[in-house]
Amino acid sequence: MKISYNWLKEHIALDWSTADLSKRLLHMGFEVEAIERLGPRFSGVVIAQIAEIVRHPNADRLSLCVVDDGKEKLSVVCGAKNIAVGQKVPLARVGARLPGGLSIGKSKIRGVESQGMICSAEELGLGAANGGILVLDPGTEVGADFAKTFGESDEILDVEITPNRPDCLSHLGLARELSAHLGLPLTARPAPQPSAPQGDCWPVAIDAPAACPRYVGRVLTGLKIGPSPAWLSGKLEAIGLRPINNLVDITNFILMDLGQPLHAFDLDRLSGGEIRVRFAAAGETIKALDGKDYALTPDVLVIADGERPQAIAGVMGGQESGVTEKTTRAFLESAYFNPPVVRKASQKLRLRSDSSYRFERGCDPDMPAQASARAAELILKLCGGAVSPAALAGAGVARRAPIVVSAARVNEILGSQFESKDVGACLRSICAGFEDKDGAWAFQPPSYRGDLETVWDLAEETARLLSYESIPSRLPTAPLKPALLTRRQAVAERARKRLQGFGLCEAYNYDFVSAKALAACRIEDSPGFARLANPISEDWTILRPALLPGLLQNAALNARRGAPSARLFELGKVYARAPGAVDERHRLAAVLYGPPAEAFWKPARAPAADVYEALGVALELLCGLPGLSRAPFEPTGAEGALFNPGASVRLQAGKTILGAVGQLHPQVARAFDLERHGATIMELDFEALCALQAPATRFAAVSQFPYSRRDLSIVVEKRHPYAAVEAAIRDAAGAELLSLDLIDVFEGKGIPEGKRSLTLRLTFGRDDRTLKDAEVAAAVDKSLAALKAAMGADLRA
Amino acid sequence: MAREKAQWLEDFDALRAEIAAKPISALDRGSLEEFRVRILGRKGWLTELLKELKDFSIEERRELGPKAQDLKSRIDSEVSQRQKQLEAQADQAQTTASGLDLTLPAFRPPRGRLHPLTATIDEIAGIFLQMGFSWAEGPLVETDYHNFTALNIPEYHPARDLQDTFYVEGLPLLLRTQTSPVQIRTMESQRPPLRIICPGRVFRHEAVDATHSAVFHQVEGLCVDKGISFADLKGTISLFLQKLFGAKTRTLFRPTYFPFTEPSADVYVSCVFCEGKGCPVCKRTGWIELLGCGLVHPKVLRNVSCDPESWSGFAFGIGVERVAMLRLGVSDIRSFYENDVRFLRQFDENLV
Repeated sequence: MKISYNWLKEHIALDWSTADLSKRLLHMGFEVEAIERLGPRFSGVVIAQIAEIVRHPNADRLSLCVVDDGKEKLSVVCGAKNIAVGQKVPLARVGARLPGGLSIGKSKIRGVESQGMICSAEELGLGAANGGILVLDPGTEVGADFAKTFGESDEILDVEITPNRPDCLSHLGLARELSAHLGLPLTARPAPQPSAPQGDCWPVAIDAPAACPRYVGRVLTGLKIGPSPAWLSGKLEAIGLRPINNLVDITNFILMDLGQPLHAFDLDRLSGGEIRVRFAAAGETIKALDGKDYALTPDVLVIADGERPQAIAGVMGGQESGVTEKTTRAFLESAYFNPPVVRKASQKLRLRSDSSYRFERGCDPDMPAQASARAAELILKLCGGAVSPAALAGAGVARRAPIVVSAARVNEILGSQFESKDVGACLRSICAGFEDKDGAWAFQPPSYRGDLETVWDLAEETARLLSYESIPSRLPTAPLKPALLTRRQAVAERARKRLQGFGLCEAYNYDFVSAKALAACRIEDSPGFARLANPISEDWTILRPALLPGLLQNAALNARRGAPSARLFELGKVYARAPGAVDERHRLAAVLYGPPAEAFWKPARAPAADVYEALGVALELLCGLPGLSRAPFEPTGAEGALFNPGASVRLQAGKTILGAVGQLHPQVARAFDLERHGATIMELDFEALCALQAPATRFAAVSQFPYSRRDLSIVVEKRHPYAAVEAAIRDAAGAELLSLDLIDVFEGKGIPEGKRSLTLRLTFGRDDRTLKDAEVAAAVDKSLAALKAAMGADLRA
Repeated sequence: MAREKAQWLEDFDALRAEIAAKPISALDRGSLEEFRVRILGRKGWLTELLKELKDFSIEERRELGPKAQDLKSRIDSEVSQRQKQLEAQADQAQTTASGLDLTLPAFRPPRGRLHPLTATIDEIAGIFLQMGFSWAEGPLVETDYHNFTALNIPEYHPARDLQDTFYVEGLPLLLRTQTSPVQIRTMESQRPPLRIICPGRVFRHEAVDATHSAVFHQVEGLCVDKGISFADLKGTISLFLQKLFGAKTRTLFRPTYFPFTEPSADVYVSCVFCEGKGCPVCKRTGWIELLGCGLVHPKVLRNVSCDPESWSGFAFGIGVERVAMLRLGVSDIRSFYENDVRFLRQFDENLV
């Protein structure tokens, strides 16, 4: 909320700089977001002395003054009665600008040229009209720029008021808060004294007493609607409000001064002779002051005349009954509306106003009558006419039960050792009247402090007033229990560490994707996707059904930016619609393109990434899982469409399907411009992974006897998968075959068409003795015989 | 079949002649090994000659034996001498002029990186784990009740304006705007005393720019026990911030408003860049706003059937991106979600 420092000072005698004040406010829990300095609202005004006064030749009420501005003598026409020779006065010279956008030019007044204007305080925006020019101190220096000497300036503080403190959404409210904190009294103001009320007010009926516990109405007659005086328009302009006319400006002034929203209806546009506060009937509509039509529903509270809604209660008035320059009779509303009712209406109609902002946070239920009287007083002064007695409707808001509080309880909550008298003084600064009974107090929160409900609230008030810094700092003394990780987090930490060790970098992607991005991944839009009801943009409509689309976008970005390789993984959630719910599951995915290591000058050390490398990353990540195996690829889940089915495998642990690893589908590669990069991908079901349990590691004795190694090159038809070759050898060679490594695959020269040569390294050994050559030879022969029998494989010639 | 004496002597002399013609001290590494195997090996020339001595008469053995032994020890010693000499020469060559250009780039084993946000979460969580806070998790798609109502933000409460929310289409669900619903879920399933942290993703319906992200991370903390006071909160948070930013870090607690805590505080740390002297990062105030915290609101405790007259607690929430940006000097929050490898590779855990 914008606070004018000058205005604030009308309520409390502050002599702080705004910089100090904003520091203090921050300490109280109010952040000052900006301080704006407002200069004088006029220019080109100098101090001049009246040298001579003669009667205007053509007008009795006007005078012709010769004034000296220190440089030259000017002839100025003036209508004021309080002028005298020798006075020092503010002179607006030709070219001067005055508040309200008025600029002074050479003009002829009743046939006589006037070379400027002698100004009143009101014309300069420095005070209320008093019927004469502003006469300055005789010691004032002639010729000086008036703005420099007398130009009043202001500072506007943009104070962030938290939602729990609507009572501070006015100049009085903030002054009241400062008064409690600084121990300064509020400036006493005489109670409003409207002249003798005249006429009758329209009756006010409240059909919804819970929604509107208090309504104060007044009828104003004989009004003269016109521009506001400069002091009023100046105040509103200073805090960023546009002056409209005197009546509307008064309502806005009271809103910003006292925090009470008011509304004025043009009485001649109302019919039926009564005001009714009721919920709208189905089908009713209203054109609000913003010029838009609103369809009302039965949960929207309205202010109606005998016929139709004329205002959305607490939110905005209707255009039809709005005050215009032609208005002569008005109905002034000052009320308290139930906060949720106003908020509901404001949200439903998507219509917000300074009024709704305050009502939905909670206004002071005791303020309507006082604000109405204050407004009436000002209206009589500025708009003339007469004011009716107030029509009071509603039972008001019941006083809340007092809060039982003691210094001991406050200290218990805060962990402080405040003296009882200090805590009492704090509470008294908020509301003085409470009794001290046996060390406990029955604190009655003021009507405007709806936020004070419990002893915790009063503990906070005490802490704010005595400063959070005065509360000691200590550590909880409760016994420590061992801290635990969730299983998911424990597995996640290990998985991240492994993947980092393989040279992968971790990526974080947003949880939102577009149907378009999914289409690029060959993922068809599906009713099974979870979607946002209110996405920020078209690109962010679907909650991601897979991690890979995001990672592919990352890979494409890196490729586009010239990265020779990018190897990324992500651990995150994917979403799917389930009956009445959204299923979220953790997944682990990776995309790899480019060589695993940086470029190296010995090419053999830096192999190109391919599907075998990606598979290796996956297997090494999952290394140690019982029953880890590869199975033919079958698309599962949304991400299935991203894999090239001819170059991918499924990974399983026992019967648990963990996910897939393989080449990126060529169509997807093309869509992401990754064709040249030979990207490979994997996506694993992290929840399934976490559900698995690996056996604890146990020591196994290592053999003390040398191993025997044999390399065999066999030629076999390509249709036999390597796994079959390996299985045949393992079966035949027996338990003494400790390991079997494939060290070369060759096709081409010297190998018949349709066949390939596989070079295998067989390692034999026993724990209890060295194997004899003959035993090894026998095992090799058995293996070769088995290969021959099973798939016609021969030793390579 | 063993040789006759004449033949033996002829071969013996031939061997001597060979040695004389091609002195062992002149052999290179390869021919020395070849010589050693050919002459002294298991089936070597001299080995055979020595073996055959046993077939001769005693006189013959007396005559020939010492000659042969003499030759063998001479050769043995010369071979071993030459071997040592050659090894020394080779070592000399390898150690003085290896021919390697060691200014060539090395082969660097590939090493990945954890995301800077993971590293930041791990560091924050690590401090609290040491203080006995256990790790807790909750769903990202939440009910209105857990995200708002149970946290003392009823429907039509203006505090809902503080957190613009994403809603799920067709379901009464939303994306959690804070990690605080995990407080509720944890207290619904566990009774106090408890200490938890819940690091995780949160979502706000706001336009993304350099300092705002619709997706970001928080670490929530909750401690509920008998007699927990604001002083315990101050002590815990201050200790945490000193662990995170260094022992000299000072903290400042200022009042603020959160619907689910009472009293509530914004916590500032002395600026980590200027140590409180004032710099552009702290907007010349010397202080940086870092986290929000407070005592758990009695209504929140009641909502999980916990009596606020016998239990009390504190809660806090830290923005992970904010901490990471401050500590790493990242100026655009979007960089965390772009995944440019040149960005990601910068954040390496320091070895020392």
